[in-house]
Amino acid sequence: MLQKFFYQEKGVFLQSLHPAASMTFIAVLLVQTVIFTHPLYLTGILMVTFLALWAADGLAAWEGYMKAALWMAVLVTAINPLVNHNGNTVLWQGPDLPLFGRPVFTIEAVSYGAAMGVRLLDMVSVFCLFNLIVHPDRFFSLFSAFARRSALAASLATRLFPVMLAAMENIREAQQLRGVDFSKGTLKERAVKNASLFNILLISSLEDSLQVAEAMHARAFGSGSRSRYRRYIFRPRDVLCLAGSIFSLGVSIFSLARGLGSYTYFPELSSFFNNSASLPALAAVLGGLSLPALLSWGCNHCHYLKSKI
Amino acid sequence: MPLFEIKNLTYYYPETEQPALHNINIAVEEGEFLLVTGGSGSGKSSLARALAGLIPGFHGGRIGGTVYYKKKDIQSINRRDLAREVGIVFQDPEKQLVMTGVEAEVAFGLENIGLPQAEMFRRVAEVMSFLGLTSLKEEFTATLSGGQKQKLALASVLAMQPQALILDEPTSQLDPAAAEEFLNLIKRLNEEMHLTIILVEQRLDRCFHLADRVVVMENGEILHDGPPGETAAWQVKNGLPFVPPVAALFARAGYPVVPLTVKEGRRLLKGNTGNSNKAAIAAVQQEQAVPSNEERPAIEVKNLWFAYPNGREALRGINLSVNTGELLAVLGENAAGKTTLLKHLAGLLKPDRGKVAVMGCDTRQATPTQMARTVGYLSQNPNDYLFQDTVAEELRFTLDNLGLPDEGRAGRLLERLGLARCRQTNPRDLSSGERQRVALASVMVAGPRILLLDEPTRGLDYGLKAALGNLLREIAEGGTAVILVTHDVEFAAEYTCRVVMMFDGRIAGDGPKHAVLGNSMFYAPQISRLFRGIDSGVLTFREAVERMRHFRILEWACGKNS
Repeated sequence: MLQKFFYQEKGVFLQSLHPAASMTFIAVLLVQTVIFTHPLYLTGILMVTFLALWAADGLAAWEGYMKAALWMAVLVTAINPLVNHNGNTVLWQGPDLPLFGRPVFTIEAVSYGAAMGVRLLDMVSVFCLFNLIVHPDRFFSLFSAFARRSALAASLATRLFPVMLAAMENIREAQQLRGVDFSKGTLKERAVKNASLFNILLISSLEDSLQVAEAMHARAFGSGSRSRYRRYIFRPRDVLCLAGSIFSLGVSIFSLARGLGSYTYFPELSSFFNNSASLPALAAVLGGLSLPALLSWGCNHCHYLKSKI
Repeated sequence: MPLFEIKNLTYYYPETEQPALHNINIAVEEGEFLLVTGGSGSGKSSLARALAGLIPGFHGGRIGGTVYYKKKDIQSINRRDLAREVGIVFQDPEKQLVMTGVEAEVAFGLENIGLPQAEMFRRVAEVMSFLGLTSLKEEFTATLSGGQKQKLALASVLAMQPQALILDEPTSQLDPAAAEEFLNLIKRLNEEMHLTIILVEQRLDRCFHLADRVVVMENGEILHDGPPGETAAWQVKNGLPFVPPVAALFARAGYPVVPLTVKEGRRLLKGNTGNSNKAAIAAVQQEQAVPSNEERPAIEVKNLWFAYPNGREALRGINLSVNTGELLAVLGENAAGKTTLLKHLAGLLKPDRGKVAVMGCDTRQATPTQMARTVGYLSQNPNDYLFQDTVAEELRFTLDNLGLPDEGRAGRLLERLGLARCRQTNPRDLSSGERQRVALASVMVAGPRILLLDEPTRGLDYGLKAALGNLLREIAEGGTAVILVTHDVEFAAEYTCRVVMMFDGRIAGDGPKHAVLGNSMFYAPQISRLFRGIDSGVLTFREAVERMRHFRILEWACGKNS
């Protein structure tokens, strides 16, 4: 049921990238989402992420993520002006309410709330993209170079997660057909019923863990220092995507240093473009980030390009 | 020079008073294919673990005697070196796969023994290609089928290029076709790669003849050790059941030669079958007819369609009607939709299209909890049911939830299932066979009109299977409709009266067991394959014995006339 939200091998260009290239791309997107406050930059990042999701054949999964995220974004946009009364441009002033005072809705607070809503959508979209294009084993193998034990432990836990979810569902079904109604009873009664599920899961997991450990032992796990299996080759496509991401990050830092990526919401909204370099900087940031999606499109339509990168 | 040599091995698991292995003496030659068989708790798996150096190394416990590998005490061999030499594949692939992705799983052991990258890459590529796993290398291990998982477990061990391969009931969770493919692969490894194979198995019809030598175990001791033919004859003489059905049949019929395969058996039958008794066949076929029931069916499925949220259509236009008192088996390949169908009958899943009526109640209108009064459901894993402190409390838990009075029914049921002495025992302290019976009791105590069982014979030996089969027959005779999903065609042939075959979410065959299994190429039991084209009315051991008697009389008569 949840499979579409996670990595599935589809043979798309973005999934073929070296983990260093794809992780850098994801990390740069995430950093930019955090450091920029300018609504155009935030919207631009959302568009670039959308493009990458489209290239990764992940729009169906993104739709699922957005169903939850959009409500949260609307909530953020709505709540911010309720609690944030800063700003000079008053849109509406409500009646005096007990305990709450007199609500003041300013255009600045609404705009700030909307920008934060877009930032939330950015983050969720980037997380979705990460799930769709980075194979968990590749992700952990990247980190195993400097954090071997932690990376291996995380990898083992990642495998166990879906297994335990499935086991939990099986236990729930077995209990339902022994007359346990998980939706009925007081909060305490329902908590007890659900706790019994975890109880069974825990006992079974402990029993199973012995067999898993035995299988690992039989394959010499823990018998000394391990080597690291690296199956990923660094191709020109990785160089290009890495270069695009690093270029975009460089321009982002330059933009911020020049005050181009930030935006003043309070006490009054500033102009969108207060500098002649604003638009070219934005184009450069988004251009660098768009490179993976553009290369993906190019590879799908041009055999020559695909053969060369 | 023997590859393995065990001298006077006795072993006790920690905190146990009974030895798991008692005074074992055996040698395994290089390149040999050794089959180890015996009942549940006979010490087969412990012997496999001893040969893999896992006891007492991993499990602890007390040990006497020595296991030698290439003349060296196996406990003195560095674990890393031993893993390069001896590989072991366990019964349940779920519990031996540790990584998320297929390729990483194959490389896991190689990383553990510290191989350089180039060597690892070559070995992973080679073994995946050999086992036909290359197309799956980017897949998640969790999404593979049972057969693919077991093949992956084998690949991850083979990548370490061991000289000896130990397999502990590797086909117990595979459908007949996948099991056949897996065993053929093992034979190929033995013949072409000169790999020493030690196979622990209970399903013997497909592997007995592959072995060079067969070891029979009981109570931690080796009862017999010899070539397959000799071992089969010895077992039949001593009343042991660990032989393929075809061998047991000829031995029981008094033939001087005991065949191990269908081919050998058919050769022996030739010449004796010209005048098969048509009246006798008709009698058997009459007996085979499914008991008719004029009442409303217990289960009625009409045009059932169901797709999982990922879009995979698991059931496609299923039509099925089951009467009270019927004992029905659902067979088919892994992921054919068998368990999904069972969950629909239990009301755990609701149809996308079509209708499922259980005792006249549309399952869409009822919650699983409401269905619990009518339907008993035993899933593949009995451990999903066991969490109370005692066996008696497990049964009381079901009764309390459904608001049913005990009135001595729990006690009677435990007695009937041979669990009376375990009443106050923690169910988790019981053997796997006993656990399964406790789980069954926890479902049966509610007195369901319909009993659904998913792979109930998994991990059970011949004796336990026979006990379960007889119990299910009794339950069905009491008026309960019993439907079981199984890969065990021998069990289905012996104990059920009707068989449904499923493939790719559809019913490919439904009818009396003789009609369905007798005509199947891969799902026919060994006995049926033996009599194919000779006597289509023969499916079970009992029927075959009757036929064989008839042939013997004919043979005797022909001999007298000539």
